[in-house]
Amino acid sequence: MASVTLTDVRKSYGATAVIHGVDVDIADGEFVVLVGPSGCGKSTLLRMVAGLETITDGEIAIGDRVVNDLEPKDRDIAMVFQNYALYPHMTVATNMGFSLEHRGTSKAQIAERVKWAADILGLEALLDRYPRQLSGGQRQRVAMGRAIVRNPQVFLFDEPLSNLDAKLRVVMRGEIKGLHQRLRTTTIYVTHDQVEAMTMADKIVVLNAGRVEQVGAPLDLYDRPANQFVAGFIGSPAMNFIGGRITPGGFVAAGVTLPLPAGLPAGERSAVYGARPEAFALAPDGLPATVTLVEPMGPETQVTLMLGEHQIIAVFRERVKARPGDTLHIRPDLEAIHLFDAETGARLN
Amino acid sequence: MKTELAPRTKVLVYGLMCVLLIPFVFPTWWMVTSSVKPISQIFAFPPDIIPRSFDFTTYGRVFELQPFAQQYWNSAYIAALVTIGTMLFSSMAGYAFARIRFPGANLLFMVVLLGLLIPSEVTIVPLFQMFLSWGMINTHWPLVLVPIFGAPSVFATFVMRQFFIALPVELEEAARVDGLGRFKIFWTIALPLARPALAAVAIFTFLHSWNLYLEPIVFLSSPDRFTLPQALTQFTDAYGGALWNVQLAAASMTALPVLIVFIIAQKQFVEGLAHTGLKG
Amino acid sequence: MTSSATSMAVREKRKRPFWTMERRDAAAGYLFIAPQLAGITLFVLIPLGLVFWYSLHEWNVLASTFRFIGTENYERLLTDRDLPRVLGATAIFSAGLVVLNMSLALLLAVLLNQKLAGITIFRTLFFSPVVVSLVAWTIVWSFLLQNNGGINGMLAAIGVEGPNWLRNPTTAMISVIVVQVFKNVGLNMILFLAALQGVPRELYEAARVDGASPFKQFRRITLPLISPTVLLTSIITIVGSLQVFAQIAVLTQGGPGISTTVLVYYLYQQAFQFHLFGYGSTLSILLFVIVAVLTFAQWQMRRKIVFYEN
Repeated sequence: MASVTLTDVRKSYGATAVIHGVDVDIADGEFVVLVGPSGCGKSTLLRMVAGLETITDGEIAIGDRVVNDLEPKDRDIAMVFQNYALYPHMTVATNMGFSLEHRGTSKAQIAERVKWAADILGLEALLDRYPRQLSGGQRQRVAMGRAIVRNPQVFLFDEPLSNLDAKLRVVMRGEIKGLHQRLRTTTIYVTHDQVEAMTMADKIVVLNAGRVEQVGAPLDLYDRPANQFVAGFIGSPAMNFIGGRITPGGFVAAGVTLPLPAGLPAGERSAVYGARPEAFALAPDGLPATVTLVEPMGPETQVTLMLGEHQIIAVFRERVKARPGDTLHIRPDLEAIHLFDAETGARLN
Repeated sequence: MKTELAPRTKVLVYGLMCVLLIPFVFPTWWMVTSSVKPISQIFAFPPDIIPRSFDFTTYGRVFELQPFAQQYWNSAYIAALVTIGTMLFSSMAGYAFARIRFPGANLLFMVVLLGLLIPSEVTIVPLFQMFLSWGMINTHWPLVLVPIFGAPSVFATFVMRQFFIALPVELEEAARVDGLGRFKIFWTIALPLARPALAAVAIFTFLHSWNLYLEPIVFLSSPDRFTLPQALTQFTDAYGGALWNVQLAAASMTALPVLIVFIIAQKQFVEGLAHTGLKG
Repeated sequence: MTSSATSMAVREKRKRPFWTMERRDAAAGYLFIAPQLAGITLFVLIPLGLVFWYSLHEWNVLASTFRFIGTENYERLLTDRDLPRVLGATAIFSAGLVVLNMSLALLLAVLLNQKLAGITIFRTLFFSPVVVSLVAWTIVWSFLLQNNGGINGMLAAIGVEGPNWLRNPTTAMISVIVVQVFKNVGLNMILFLAALQGVPRELYEAARVDGASPFKQFRRITLPLISPTVLLTSIITIVGSLQVFAQIAVLTQGGPGISTTVLVYYLYQQAFQFHLFGYGSTLSILLFVIVAVLTFAQWQMRRKIVFYEN
């Protein structure tokens, strides 16, 4: 097991730069998720760690070894691909033992390692099958088995759950997390799904357009997003953003004035007011808002409201019996209000 | 298109297909049945669709008039060498053009494709001169080397390249992570998965070599070096007239083994050809 | 600023080995194509250069003359009284072959694409001539087309007097075309069938909902969608038709007269029967130019004809 260090890593194809200098430190045994919208460069970054893409500039080190010019096979990593990439002409057992065959491991040892991995993943009964005879979840497990047999220093996952249906995704999420807790192997996991990132990561790296937006523990990112991009990307339903001006009398937006938290730098300025859907509470003395849609979810109620001229989504723990057209009085929790610079999107409070 | 047809249309389609089949099937039938008819009956009027009596002596005559076994062997081993050579070199080149990034790849691919425009009929004169200067006239070298590297192999390279392009690249990336170098990836991952394309290439190449006619008559001069297509035209009487029944017996022996192999493996044959990436 | 400073530091610290991953992979690429490229150079490109060089010479193998004569052979092309008829025969043969081959292949493919019991047997039988040895196939047709052969025998049995197929210029040309079509149409048939089966079913269902007749469906959906295959096979077929040699040699020897002497056969006669390597090479260049022009023209047509490409 080893740490992974990315120092000012850059990637360009010809004149087009896709990764603009990324620095990330991953501690030994850490589970790090790279998350971002499609095209943000997260997969490219992972593939650079794997050695499947060349590094244009900067340095990637695994442990204390710089791996820039090492072949994937010499980096002591294992990778799980989005479409599993199981060799269709080999059985499950051969698939899993394949990497060991090419490292001079004895047949007996290979069999032993494959059995060990199959035990962990519950694949014992499937070892003689071919990939086409497996279900999606089983294929996913075999792909993981193939990664763990080698006991590599680092696991790399490239959107491994995106081909599974929603239910199975939740199950496999738990399994991958469980596997990590058991093996404690340094893991880099790429996904576009912020729920996966939140639930699985020790540390999340949010990427956007080839740059790191923020690095931190899931709840830190949730509670204190460094900028408007992270704030909007993490959390579902997404954070409400209201554009307006910070004034001594509160936050002035179109048709409504919102209360501001304390401790803001003095002076008027234009800004973006961010409030997560659960940051609103029903309060008789709150701001009036017109209901446009009510979606009861069971444990909570999601309500779409017009606050002044702004549409917002609020989630309430209680059951709301309002109908479209009704007026609700809501109050934002000032502890949970985020303010961002209108131009740069940087956090102000 | 694949909707159930009305019964009357079905009868129509079956009838049409049966009529259309005649020129495809009858010649082969006529070849085999005529070869076992006594010479007096092969031009009988009205023609006998089914032979009245059988005479297998013509099959013996084939081997008396020509070193037919030797010629059979010549055709078979030449076709085998050409097929194996083409499969190997074309899949290697096709793989590189599909998968490996190297400077000049596009230009070199264009150069290779140029080979498609230059069938060996165009270059037969200089090829004859080249092989003459190497002392290879009346040997089988030209019949092996020219197809392995000439226009037919270019076609094979194109087919293989199309196939490899469509193969998921993740499989090879997984293999790289698993510790394989380029050659091992090619040999243990890409090539085994390319079986359908390889089958198509093998069929095309084998048939091409098996049917080669211009090259043998240009390059070969002694009957024990002849290949089958060339040998088939040699069964003539002293005046140059065709010994039809002997010729048809030799033709049957040439055609039937391949035909039988085809009928046994027709599914692989047809599907192999259908999935060559020639769909456009 | 700071990030570029670090990257400078990184660059200084690390010396890149010469055999980077890209270079190793590129080297592998060259090794992979080396055999084919060497072979093509030796057996295709150099001979093509030589053909051109030879075409500038008077070269009679029997008289062992080899003399540079510049463009004289090319001038001879223009004055060769047989050549226009040879090119005419080539054009008729190729055009007849391509038209007949493509339309029959399409018809058979459409028939074989129906949901019918035993369709595989029909497919196998229609394809079978492709695997029958070419010369064997030609010999049996030659046998059938004799004046007293099977075809005329059967025509006589129903009271029709058939022509002496291979001794009449018109029927001889028809014969060589038809024999070649039946031999090879199976290949195009299979490629068309694969293309037909690649047309998504929903498109037909949608067209039926829209009220399109089967004929209209074929013209507006099937044909456009299989047009890439049609184009590719037509190129292969046309280039292939220019190489047809064995069938002519066995069936008609280019006769009667020179009515079925196509360019390849003429080139073979000049070079290897009359031993005129120089003029033979000039005819080779002519053949090469025709193949190249036709191929190029068809690729250009692709833009107009092919409605759809992945």
